[in-house]
Amino acid sequence: MMKPALCLLIFFCVIFLLPPATVNAQQQPNIKISFINYAGNQPLVPDSLYANCWKENYSVSRLKYYISNIALQTSNQKWNAEQNSYHLVDESDSLSKNFSFYLPSGNYTTLSFLIGVDSLKNVSGAQTGALDPLNSMFWTWNSGYIMFKMEGTSPQSAAVNNKIEYHIGGFSGVDNAVKKIRLQLAGIPVAINNKSITEIIIRANIDKLWNAATVLKITETPVCTIPGPLAGRIAANYTTMFDVLKIVQR
Amino acid sequence: MKIKITISLLLIVLMASAFIPHQPPHKLTYLKLVIPKGWPQPPTNIFATNPLTEEGFQLGRKLFYDARLSRDSNFSCAGCHQQFAAFATYDHDFSHGFNNSFTTRNAPGLFNIAWQKELHWDGGVNHIEVQPLSPFTAANEMATTLPEILKKLKADTAYARLFKNAFADGMINSQHMLKALAQFTGSIQSYNSKYDKVKRGEDSFTVSEALGYKTFMASCNSCHREPLFTDNSFRNNGLPLNKKWMDKGRMTITGNLADSLKFKVPSLRNISLTFPYMHDGRVVSLGKVIDHYRNSIDTAQPTLDMLLKKRIAISDQEKVDLISFLLTLKDDVLTHDPRFKQPN
Repeated sequence: MMKPALCLLIFFCVIFLLPPATVNAQQQPNIKISFINYAGNQPLVPDSLYANCWKENYSVSRLKYYISNIALQTSNQKWNAEQNSYHLVDESDSLSKNFSFYLPSGNYTTLSFLIGVDSLKNVSGAQTGALDPLNSMFWTWNSGYIMFKMEGTSPQSAAVNNKIEYHIGGFSGVDNAVKKIRLQLAGIPVAINNKSITEIIIRANIDKLWNAATVLKITETPVCTIPGPLAGRIAANYTTMFDVLKIVQR
Repeated sequence: MKIKITISLLLIVLMASAFIPHQPPHKLTYLKLVIPKGWPQPPTNIFATNPLTEEGFQLGRKLFYDARLSRDSNFSCAGCHQQFAAFATYDHDFSHGFNNSFTTRNAPGLFNIAWQKELHWDGGVNHIEVQPLSPFTAANEMATTLPEILKKLKADTAYARLFKNAFADGMINSQHMLKALAQFTGSIQSYNSKYDKVKRGEDSFTVSEALGYKTFMASCNSCHREPLFTDNSFRNNGLPLNKKWMDKGRMTITGNLADSLKFKVPSLRNISLTFPYMHDGRVVSLGKVIDHYRNSIDTAQPTLDMLLKKRIAISDQEKVDLISFLLTLKDDVLTHDPRFKQPN
């Protein structure tokens, strides 16, 4: 009569010794989004001299921008979003330029994200991670995130020390500089599954900052550090800087 | 047999329990913000994502009084926000900052912040948790940086313990520091002045105070609305532009010309402790403040508040009584509350 009890004991021991099934294999990252910053038609090298489309020379010492609220759309029009989707792309930190997450398997046609931080997170107090004010991307005198920050120099700049400095922010009303980007995935649809990692490599060409929806020249506007119409025009321009360079599956 | 099975089962449970991680439960003592009787609900719940706890409050309290949070370890939050002055800077038009500098605006008293949607004279700060970032980093205030502050906190074992008490993961990071500070400053409340006691039927006004209250209700209450003694709006009260600072107030934040020279209506609670008055501390006494509204409002300013276009008619006797009433707004409970004192 001992036997059933002993069996039960062994059975339960085995059950409890097994690792808990909390790690859902399905939640393993299967998509990677990567950003490569470009200056015109070549990858950006910090502190190197480039000429923009108006033949103005410039170099970039610092380039940081927020990518948030990433979502992908399937061929049956369903959007799947990354949870807690806030990333700070920092040219000086190679690890910051790509991020992986899990997407349900399916055929995807469109990628969408915000350049900037949604208005809600701008009014929700102290954040951490990518949104930590430690990252020097938060305005203290007029609360809110700097969505996009580019600093450098240009011989054409009349600002102190030939600076170019674009701190673009503002999240409400007419000053809203948060922009939504939608990119079609080339060779669509892209099949994303649990067996491989799909990497979408995005090119961000900063030259567009001066020439897209409106013409902006370093000679005229080398600096923008407050929300307002100029910030809005710069944001509208850099909204066009993204395109899908390639998609790799491995 | 039954006994054997029971013993086996007990054994199973015992063995099984060995495999369940036993973390000591993180003990927190939850606190509640007082909503005094007859007060409106706060416009937002400032503790919605920052549960108010005794542990968080005590960490915030230590941070508030810690001068090491400034670049040269001379300036704590409490340096400019003094309890005996209802957490304003006593008897200073401008407060002192790093390297013999002055602030550009008068330090407001800190109390009833839970009822404020926007902070600072120009409303530029949209959440209590991010407010300290301004004085931390301003060159004429604490003049430091977040990494510098965190380095100091991490080097102090007392903080390691306090952060562990207050937050489950015990991490010393900017978010936890700012949330703890918000728990302390957000808890500072003023609702125990003589005025409050009269309202609760625990005290009564003198004849002069009662007359002053009547004048107040007739002439001041539309902006300095009781019980908070502010409606938290931004208004131009007809002071000439401060030529030194060229401070346009609310317009600095909104970029809207219609907001030029508008500043937040300050609460009149503890007004006898927060002199000198106005956003730049240019008016030295309560009598002179009333004189401004009676005689000196610059009525030519295009953004002047509608209610002040004809200035405010207050007789000399009404002025005396009004001041008597304003003195009843002093809250000695707040200024002596041991919970808000410098920790040992």
